[in-house]
Amino acid sequence: MAEQVIRVEGLKKSFGDHQVLRGIDFAANKGEVVCIIGSSGSGKSTLLRCINLLETPDEGKILYHGRDILTDERISMPQYHAKVGMVFQQFNLFGNMTALENCMTGQMKVLRRSRAQSMENAMKYLRKVGMEAYVGAKPRQLSGGQKQRVAIARALSMDPEVILFDEPTSALDPEMVGEVLSVMQNLAQEGLTMLVVTHEMGFARAVADHVVFMDQGVIAEEGAPDDVLGAPRHERLRSFLRSML
Amino acid sequence: MPTTFFGWVGFLLEQYGGLFLSGTGMTLLIALSGTAFGFLIGLLVAIVRTLDVPRGMGPIKRALRKAAHALIAVYIQIFRGTPMIVQAMVIYYGSMQYLGIDMDRTVAAILIISINTGAYMAEIIRGGIVSVDRGQFEAAHAIGMTHWQTMTTVVLPQAIRNILPSVGNELIVNIKDSSVLNVISVSELFFQAKSAAGTYYKYFEVFFIIACIYLALTVTVSRVLRYVEKRMDGPDNYVICGSQSDSRAEIVVNREQEEEVDRQWQSR
Ligand SMILES: Nc1ncnc2c1ncn2[C@@H]1O[C@H](COP(=O)(O)OP(=O)(O)O)[C@@H](O)[C@H]1O
Ligand SMILES: [Mg+2]
Repeated sequence: MAEQVIRVEGLKKSFGDHQVLRGIDFAANKGEVVCIIGSSGSGKSTLLRCINLLETPDEGKILYHGRDILTDERISMPQYHAKVGMVFQQFNLFGNMTALENCMTGQMKVLRRSRAQSMENAMKYLRKVGMEAYVGAKPRQLSGGQKQRVAIARALSMDPEVILFDEPTSALDPEMVGEVLSVMQNLAQEGLTMLVVTHEMGFARAVADHVVFMDQGVIAEEGAPDDVLGAPRHERLRSFLRSML
Repeated sequence: MPTTFFGWVGFLLEQYGGLFLSGTGMTLLIALSGTAFGFLIGLLVAIVRTLDVPRGMGPIKRALRKAAHALIAVYIQIFRGTPMIVQAMVIYYGSMQYLGIDMDRTVAAILIISINTGAYMAEIIRGGIVSVDRGQFEAAHAIGMTHWQTMTTVVLPQAIRNILPSVGNELIVNIKDSSVLNVISVSELFFQAKSAAGTYYKYFEVFFIIACIYLALTVTVSRVLRYVEKRMDGPDNYVICGSQSDSRAEIVVNREQEEEVDRQWQSR
């Protein structure tokens, strides 16, 4: 059996008296691409944010290689964050830094790499996402698609084991969606473990190893893409997929 | 004795030029150091205010943080809610009569103006921090940076750039409002002018000169600040390296053009 990188057990999270996650269980194996789909408000972002500890879960476990990140003293938070990268819908690049500096800061501050080493690594990944020509540009000088590619390079620069993507193409103009998806597809082929919240059903079908459909804070259906997307069993999933066409 | 207005101005300048100059120096010293220390106080206060009180925290740390937040709120309320001239009297005479501290007047002046400015700066800097979108905090935390690292490398550089005009405005206000500190007899410009004017009863002439000096100071400072802001924004252009083998293949993008395009879009 493949090694589980991330495993979530009985995860619950409320905001006030609104229970957003009502008991989530799932796992991502090494090298797998898991696509999370579901209508707006179903708790997809909250799930990723809990895995990343941007939100503190109320109940449940988040296991990283079998160790509970909420209680296991052996896991240091900066190290965990370095191993689990995140790419946001709104890019969230550091506005005061160039593309290159965006990819270097975390390496130097968190991983304590030297400037030279950080720069070399940053350049490697900027090249991979096709942004090597813009190393000196500030975020405000880049298009949405370019920003998102830099954001992916920034996440990659930490040499993570998993990257969480929260609707990485939803804030983009349609003509820029392709450039970002093709970068992600390459990463998937290279064996990066990825958790991707997306509304791009074509991408999910082509790239995902596993698809998870979330509905009202629970996983309503999951499985191979051909099954979940091709032969949905639940009415709510069927109507969701119809609305995506 | 001179008979005309300009005659008097010349005479007074000759007589008291040195005094006015030293007063100007003192005013600048108080205003600049008061703004600088006030900025530091405001920065500290603003950073403490960005720390939240998470539920998982220990009860003692929690109580301390809550107390710090409450203290800060009181400080800001008091120093923004009373005139500096009154604060000066209370602090200077209060510490003399009840704490037995006979403060050096210059030190007292700088202290008062710093604490006063700090209360305003705290709000200004908080505004600057809030203006940096929350997503950048999250992105920094998501790559493992600590709160402190996030603040110093990502948030504050942008916050400070955004609030530079307001900070400059505080400096200008301090140059002018330090004049109220004459009530504790610190030898700043207004205090010197008062003593010079009294000798010949030439209030208008002396304060005409003083007005010109204040104006020259504030105009110069605002010019310098505008220059600094421009410098901090960095070059308007950036270069796209077109091809790594051919360095001539460059595209220079001009920010003014971009901004023009932005404006056109916004005005639609
Ligand atoms: N910080 C928050 N405070 C209060 N409510 C929140 C917060 N974050 C998310 N929610 C609520 O949780 C629900 C699920 O949000 P989210 O996880 O963003 O859903 P999705 O990403 O699937 O659209 C929504 O109803 C949203 O309003
Ligand atoms: Mg979402």
